Amino acid sequence: MSTTDIPRRADAPARRTRGRTGATRRGDGRAAIIFLAPWFAGLVLITAGPMAASLYLSFTDYDLLTPPTWIGPENYTRMFEDPRFLNALQVTFTYVLVSVPIQLALSLALALILDKGLRALSFYRSIYYLPSLLGGSVAVAILWRQVFGADGLLNQFLALFGIQGEGWVSHPDYALGTLIVLNVWTFGSPMVIFLAGLRQIPQMYYEAASIDGASKVRQFITITVPLLSPIVFFNLVLQVIGSFQSFTQAYVVSGGTGGPADSTMFYTLYLYLKGFGSLDMGYASAMAWFLLLIIGGMTAVNFVASKYWVFYDD
Amino acid sequence: MRFTTTRARRAAATAGATVAVLALAACAGGDSGLSPAGEDTAAPPAEECPCEIRFSWWGSDSRHAATQEIIDAFEAENPDITVVPDFTDWSGYWDKLATSVAASDAPDVMTQEERYISDYASRGVLADLSALEIDTSKVDAAILAGGQTADGQFGIPTGVNAYAVVIDPEIFAAAGVEVPDDETWTWDDYVEIANEISAKAPEGVYGAQDYGFNEAGINVMARQRGESLYTADGKVGVSKETVTDFFQVSLDLQAGGGEPDAARTMEIQDAGPEGSLLGTNTGAMGVWWSNQLGALSKASGRELQLLRLPGESEGERTGMYLKPAMFYSISSKSEYPQASAKFVDFLLNSPAAAEIMLTDRGLPANTEVREGILDKLDAPNALVADFMAEIAPTIVDSPPVPPNGSGDVADITERLNAEVLFGRLTPEKAAEQFLSELEAAIG
Repeated sequence: MSTTDIPRRADAPARRTRGRTGATRRGDGRAAIIFLAPWFAGLVLITAGPMAASLYLSFTDYDLLTPPTWIGPENYTRMFEDPRFLNALQVTFTYVLVSVPIQLALSLALALILDKGLRALSFYRSIYYLPSLLGGSVAVAILWRQVFGADGLLNQFLALFGIQGEGWVSHPDYALGTLIVLNVWTFGSPMVIFLAGLRQIPQMYYEAASIDGASKVRQFITITVPLLSPIVFFNLVLQVIGSFQSFTQAYVVSGGTGGPADSTMFYTLYLYLKGFGSLDMGYASAMAWFLLLIIGGMTAVNFVASKYWVFYDD
Repeated sequence: MRFTTTRARRAAATAGATVAVLALAACAGGDSGLSPAGEDTAAPPAEECPCEIRFSWWGSDSRHAATQEIIDAFEAENPDITVVPDFTDWSGYWDKLATSVAASDAPDVMTQEERYISDYASRGVLADLSALEIDTSKVDAAILAGGQTADGQFGIPTGVNAYAVVIDPEIFAAAGVEVPDDETWTWDDYVEIANEISAKAPEGVYGAQDYGFNEAGINVMARQRGESLYTADGKVGVSKETVTDFFQVSLDLQAGGGEPDAARTMEIQDAGPEGSLLGTNTGAMGVWWSNQLGALSKASGRELQLLRLPGESEGERTGMYLKPAMFYSISSKSEYPQASAKFVDFLLNSPAAAEIMLTDRGLPANTEVREGILDKLDAPNALVADFMAEIAPTIVDSPPVPPNGSGDVADITERLNAEVLFGRLTPEKAAEQFLSELEAAIG
């Protein structure tokens, strides 16, 4: 620690004096442009360019192998006559609407427990955060397949109690459920944000309330919930957006098919299969833009609804 | 460290220029159209070599190692041609190939597959190989036809596979069920035998693994009835009755106990040869492509055998066929079509190449080369070679090349079969949906 401290302290005053001279500030501006150039190139070439291209492609018939031909909004109208597309919408909405509330409730509950000042808090915080780092990975999705397989860990555990479990990932009635559990399991990042939010609530409110004789439950409802509501809102928006875009879990757990019987056919997975499997890139591009509209719409609904339940202290 | 004004300006200009150049390059890549196949290769001028060609393929590590060895052997014979290897696994291969074609960066020589070759050929991505110098005289005409469309020869089969029933004689013996005569058994026999084995074998051992996820079975059943999954002019050629009967066999096996329940079937289906019923010694029969006999035998540790599919003498004709395992194709945009053709010729006709590859890309399509490696094959592959020699005389013809968009058929079949097994669709409804979805896909 001390070795890194010394140069930092010696450096600090020098930087301040340099910052004060006007000429150098202009020089810094040019340098900033140069240093920003790679980022800007990235934005144009990797994000904005492809986005513009996909918007154009969404109005074309494009098979990747021959140049696209303009067909107008046909891709967009075709979606609503495509039963597999409608099924993918249903699967994805079910996934988001079920897993996000459960995940937020669980992460809030754990944050409340950890906030009570457990010993070795940072240890527990790391342990609970771990699934969030791993949850989106291919390795965990493969593990999930093993755990929920017919001869998997879960069924071996159930067998101890004499219960004959199903092949959870291979039955269309349960496969989506296992993915919801996987998403809920990655509660770590909202939990850490809740934890930070709880620390922000001034202790004096609780002290005043307990002097007035308010119970713990009462304190939670009238102090914690309103003061934490902006954090709940933030987590809700983030998780809804993230869950709509889930891909890896379904891709790996279903072996890239969205099966069994399309029960885990997420929107993004269907988009991918259309684009690269059926070489229908125009349709896939239209789906991508429609997903943007859905996510934008859901976020807008969240923001409008937030007026009625989110409380800002200041 | 401070930037002087001039240096900063120069650096900024350079950065700006780089962005502009990259942007231009990106545009140029997207704009270039593709000309129809054949045009580029008509009467090619002699190529200037040394030259470099790129060869792309999919597969396992053992295939990568073997292919690299073949490339080394080719380069030793042709010191002025360098072959750059470009390989991925199966699913990544098609994503990568489609995007590199879109970026006008197709590999010179590529491996193709039945379900995609006409997508690529009809869009002018592949060169007509009959215009190039590749000796195909040792390849059976019916098999060679597997790489032809009305417009030309766009792929040359690497080798052949047959879709057949793999059996575990030990389980037949343990259950006290006789191995059937595969020249005369019917589809009803198949269901009956499977159900009987499940009933007589120990708990957890089944008569058969479900076969309904693979459209090759539909094709064989259709051919036995004088139909075909696809017609020569690229339409759906199978009747609703045939597809209904196909799914009905799956359902009958499940209802009669001949195969595991639906959820278990889904799980086994994704588990490859290693996790299959045959591979884990828990099933007597399974329908597989013959090139998987090696992997199945290894996983099971037993001497498995091959039988003809049921129904070969039941209908109006035989339905089994030899399928090109994959194809060698050349890009219509290749800068060096002659060097590429030379390499394909080597892959196809060189005894040295065949000795390295053995049956990894199917039993070699070149019959002379095939003879040469027979005594080098391990037991399962020798069995495959014998089996193919045995059924060859009974094969009527090769099915036509699957039309554009037929890549979706695997997914459609697998999904509808699952719907049937889980009781969500009747075989008849599934057949209706199969036909309408397939027609939409190839339409």
